[in-house]
Amino acid sequence: MNEGQIESLLQRADAVANRPLFGDICAARTRRRIRRRRLARTGVPLALAATVALAIVLPALCMRAKAPPSQPQKIAELEEQVEQLQARTDATLKLVQEVLEKDRRQRRLAALEAELASIPDPTRQIEQEVDRTAFLLIYQADRLYRELNQTESAVAAYKELIQLFPNNRWADVARERLSQIERRQINKSDKGEIPCEPRNV
Amino acid sequence: MSAMVEIFEEQDLAERFRRGDDSVFDRIVEQHSAEIAALANRLLGWPGEVDDVVQEVFLAAFLALKRFRGECRLRTWLFAITVNKCRSFRFRRRRSPPGPMSNGTESLVGPDPRSDETAMDEETFARVRRAVQALPPKYREVIVLKYLQGLDTVETCRLLGVTANAMQVRLNRARNRLKEHLDDLFQEEP
Repeated sequence: MNEGQIESLLQRADAVANRPLFGDICAARTRRRIRRRRLARTGVPLALAATVALAIVLPALCMRAKAPPSQPQKIAELEEQVEQLQARTDATLKLVQEVLEKDRRQRRLAALEAELASIPDPTRQIEQEVDRTAFLLIYQADRLYRELNQTESAVAAYKELIQLFPNNRWADVARERLSQIERRQINKSDKGEIPCEPRNV
Repeated sequence: MSAMVEIFEEQDLAERFRRGDDSVFDRIVEQHSAEIAALANRLLGWPGEVDDVVQEVFLAAFLALKRFRGECRLRTWLFAITVNKCRSFRFRRRRSPPGPMSNGTESLVGPDPRSDETAMDEETFARVRRAVQALPPKYREVIVLKYLQGLDTVETCRLLGVTANAMQVRLNRARNRLKEHLDDLFQEEP
């Protein structure tokens, strides 16, 4: 039996089988059907829930209706208990508010401290700026001396640096450079080349 | 009408339905109800009475039509709903006491075909239908969609949510099972 035979056999068997029967279908009827189904799905559980609730509530209501009326003494006791509860509640609320206020203050203080810590120290900033300027001056002076062979300008720059920032670490370096230049010039003058430049620092 | 035009038309129908035009649904029912009923009839073992399933299919379609994105043909989409509803229907029927439709005890062995070699009588066809009905659902669905509904491989795969290979495997196994039951019908044919 090949595929064609199977297909043919199935189609012939299908052709003589019961024809499908079904009723009319339209949008309006389908909508009604959906509504009915939703009603059945939601309405029935709701009705059941309402019945159960009534079954629970009704006996309680009946029992309450049958209960004897409260006596004045009982009412007074209850009022006293209510007052005590009220006072206790007020005290607790006050305590809670105090704790919350303290917590709020602590958080504010921590925030201010953090803010303060984030502000940079102005003295330190000025020191850094001075150091940077002194470094730039000595860098320029070094360039004049070593790369451009302008010894006089370099010496003037080293002297200016020493004058402006006498206590800076770069001033020490400038002094060292001046000493080196002086020694070199003395050596040269000994050989009779260039006269030595006096050091005024 | 080309397939593309039909797809655009179906997308337009879905859009009109989304905008509240109920007449679109009536038109879809008119166009597809016969095919849906035929498919349900075949998947459920040719009981004839398929009103419940068809109503369920169109009810589900009515609820879901607003979400139809036009990624497949409307016909394929409705067929997929039908296949699912028929599975549910068969499952419910299997759990309920057996009725006249679920007569699974009927023998698959029919009368001797050699007694009438020229024409297959009604009983023979009934036997073929019973053989299809006796197949496991996943094989029966493939057989019905492929040979009786005339769907192509791509549509069948998309509808059943399986790969082409899986569908081919199912088809081969379904054919083999049918052969086991019905091979004697062809033994005497030239």
